Amino acid sequence: MSSVTTEQPAPKNKLSLRSRLRRDRSLLLMTVPSVALLLVFNYVPLFGLLTAFQDYNPLVGVWNSEWVGFAQFVALFDDSLFWGSLTNTLYLSFVQLILFFPIPIALALLLNSVLSERLRNLIQSIAYLPHFFSWVLAITIFQQMFGGAGLLNQFLRSNDIGIWDIMTNPDTFALLITSQAIWKEAGWSIIVFLAALAAINTDLYESSAVDGAGRWRRLWHITLPGMMGVIMLMLVLRLGNALSVGFEQFLIQRDAVGHEAADVLDTFAFYYGIATNNYSYGAAAGLFKSVISLLLIWGANKLAHAFGEDGLYRK
Amino acid sequence: MGIELNRRRFLSTTVSVAGLAAMGGLLSACGGGAQQKTGANSDALKAALPKYVPSSAIKADIASVAGGPDILTDPGFLTYPSNPVATVSGIPGKGGKYTAVTPLWGTIPPADNSFYQAMNQALGVTLDMKPADGNNYATIIPTMTAAKRLPDWIQLPNWWNANFNVGELAGSQLADLTPYLAGDKIEKYPNLAAIPTGAWQAGAWGDKLYGIPSFSSGFVIAGGTAYRRDLLEARGITADQVKSADDLMNLGKELTDAKGGVWAFDDVWTYMFPSWGVPLKWTVKDGKLVHKYDMPELLDALEWHHKLATAGYIHPDALAGNNADGNVRFYAGKVLIAGGGAGGWNASDHQSGTAANPNYRKGFFDFFTKDGKGEPRIEVGSSSRILSYLNSNLKPEQIEELLAVANYLAAPYGSKEYTLINFGIEGVHHTMVNGVPTATEEGKKNVQPQTFPFLASPASVISNPGADVVTNDYTAWQAANVKHLKKPVFWNMNISLPRSMATADAGQAVEDAIKDCYHGKKKVSDVKEAINTWKSSGGGDKLVQWTDENVLQKFGTGQ
Repeated sequence: MSSVTTEQPAPKNKLSLRSRLRRDRSLLLMTVPSVALLLVFNYVPLFGLLTAFQDYNPLVGVWNSEWVGFAQFVALFDDSLFWGSLTNTLYLSFVQLILFFPIPIALALLLNSVLSERLRNLIQSIAYLPHFFSWVLAITIFQQMFGGAGLLNQFLRSNDIGIWDIMTNPDTFALLITSQAIWKEAGWSIIVFLAALAAINTDLYESSAVDGAGRWRRLWHITLPGMMGVIMLMLVLRLGNALSVGFEQFLIQRDAVGHEAADVLDTFAFYYGIATNNYSYGAAAGLFKSVISLLLIWGANKLAHAFGEDGLYRK
Repeated sequence: MGIELNRRRFLSTTVSVAGLAAMGGLLSACGGGAQQKTGANSDALKAALPKYVPSSAIKADIASVAGGPDILTDPGFLTYPSNPVATVSGIPGKGGKYTAVTPLWGTIPPADNSFYQAMNQALGVTLDMKPADGNNYATIIPTMTAAKRLPDWIQLPNWWNANFNVGELAGSQLADLTPYLAGDKIEKYPNLAAIPTGAWQAGAWGDKLYGIPSFSSGFVIAGGTAYRRDLLEARGITADQVKSADDLMNLGKELTDAKGGVWAFDDVWTYMFPSWGVPLKWTVKDGKLVHKYDMPELLDALEWHHKLATAGYIHPDALAGNNADGNVRFYAGKVLIAGGGAGGWNASDHQSGTAANPNYRKGFFDFFTKDGKGEPRIEVGSSSRILSYLNSNLKPEQIEELLAVANYLAAPYGSKEYTLINFGIEGVHHTMVNGVPTATEEGKKNVQPQTFPFLASPASVISNPGADVVTNDYTAWQAANVKHLKKPVFWNMNISLPRSMATADAGQAVEDAIKDCYHGKKKVSDVKEAINTWKSSGGGDKLVQWTDENVLQKFGTGQ
């Protein structure tokens, strides 16, 4: 099935920088707004990280606030609540990775096998819908269905079966938030995998079918390898964002299960930094998270390359 | 969210996070950044406080009842004065142009609308009103102060004093009003002079006046424990049968019918803990300052609330932290006893309740001690929580012009000015229906009671046009309970803490543990552990020491 190609390496660009700039000026001009947005909203605010090394006072500004060196980090690493939040973040991220990550891939494969286009569109639309709900609405729906006074528990009560504490049990909170995330986001997440599936050459399926490969063989030898690049890319991105498990979802349900179960790094920075005017403390927590995330994404990218995949970029 | 306006929390926030203080000298050694102000009861402040000259322009239907110095019930009005009297002669302004920013929890009216125009005409100034979303207010203001771009007139609710750094703003970006209002000088502005002195103290920093109070009251408490009077009385249960925490717990057992979807309680912690003798924040024992976290009474109170939750008497949605629907549960009769913010016992509540059940009637239990013995002690909050400030860049004549405008806005309930400020022009923004100003469509769109009154307003009254039962019940409850109200330690004192103590002062970890405990998720021993951590590594002991040395020892209790 494989074909040997004799691609010639692309000739090196011999044009001077000025010539290339002149040649690509229209394209470069079109990127200016995006680059400007990126600079203004992503790079310029990075200067705010200085506050992590200060006792920042908004009234006197960054330049006039007192420098305290690593004092905020010392306090942070001495704070048991911080370590609790970090542990929660990593645990919740791990649970989501194991339980959530495969779902969109499986959904995409299933959806791809539906032959009726109308039916496929219908299923797709229904699966996408919860993505457009806010977390407030999504959690309200869960509360109305599974809360202590929700439909399920009132039914159980009225039949003397006893209640099932789903929404306020800290021990099963990881499963609850993962279920909510799957319900809300799994449908939307299949888009990228559907695109990867659409890019696989259908001739390969026909050839393998002619050669006698069954459905599972085709899945294993054609579909999954065809999707592997995208799966690895999404995995790298997911690992890079391992410390960003969300904010609103935890903020809203913090009182329901208690702060020890629900506090993640982002809510920690909010409650123990911003909400108490201790901006520098929150900035230190945020900077710590960013550094760890950078290391994670770097490590995951290395891993992808080690497996022969592209990762974030082609090596 | 965390910083959003939560009326149930406001009292503890204002007193606990505290802003600055009204008192003495500048303490330059504390904290980073600019100098901090703190103090209380200094002679200089006492000299600066405006003289109180009560207004006799309008007589209330239900008179105030005094409960002690600076403590009294709000007067009640059963009818709206039919012939509003004018309390301001002439036009207060001289044609100046100013901008004003206030928070608004509601729909923002269109700019330069017919109501604003009518007000500007009456005030004699061009006041460019810029109401801002109250839910985001705490994040909007710091950007203005950091850029030193405050408007000419701004409202800063005192529960956000710490967020806004009002202590540092006072004198730097906010104008000192002492030269214009101190002592007898306020008599130039009779309606402002009718605002009780305590309310002015709530807006004082260092030993100077800065804030102009709105909605001042001598009965400022977080609220009480509300109950469905109609439903309980139908079962033969009256409020006077509840005289102790045990009585209430027993009532929980009697009223809860989980299978039928009815629970006795919603969250009541905020309004019940004083029954155990727990102060809002501080108390003084044997001359020594004690934080409430150091009091065994706090743990006793938590023990009872923990039991209330684990016994299954609290609605599951309340335990899940869904407070937003608390009123809906109460109106629907799914909950029969709930924490009731003082501001929530009004005509609007009555309308919502009767829409759900025509027999709806709300009541508050009288205050009691945990065992029904002795005198309950309910601590009052600041005499005013809504304070507006003038920009320090204004010239003296501009400040005088705006104070004259504030005097107009502070006209008493039912006066000609009050009617315009709160209901707009008759025939345009409201019409009189059965003697009650009733908004027209134009009025509903443009006249918001949270715009001009948030810059200055008269002392609070109880008035619920169309719902006299509320006015009668609420004034009667206030009159029966005013004797239990006491001033807390550091009453009306604004304390500007060093920045390094902000975290300890907020006590977020302890507050989280307390909430988890009264929701039944943590034991009292867990709270005790959180308190121990707060005291040692959390800076709690340092906070107590600093406050003792720098506030209590220097300025006294303020009581």
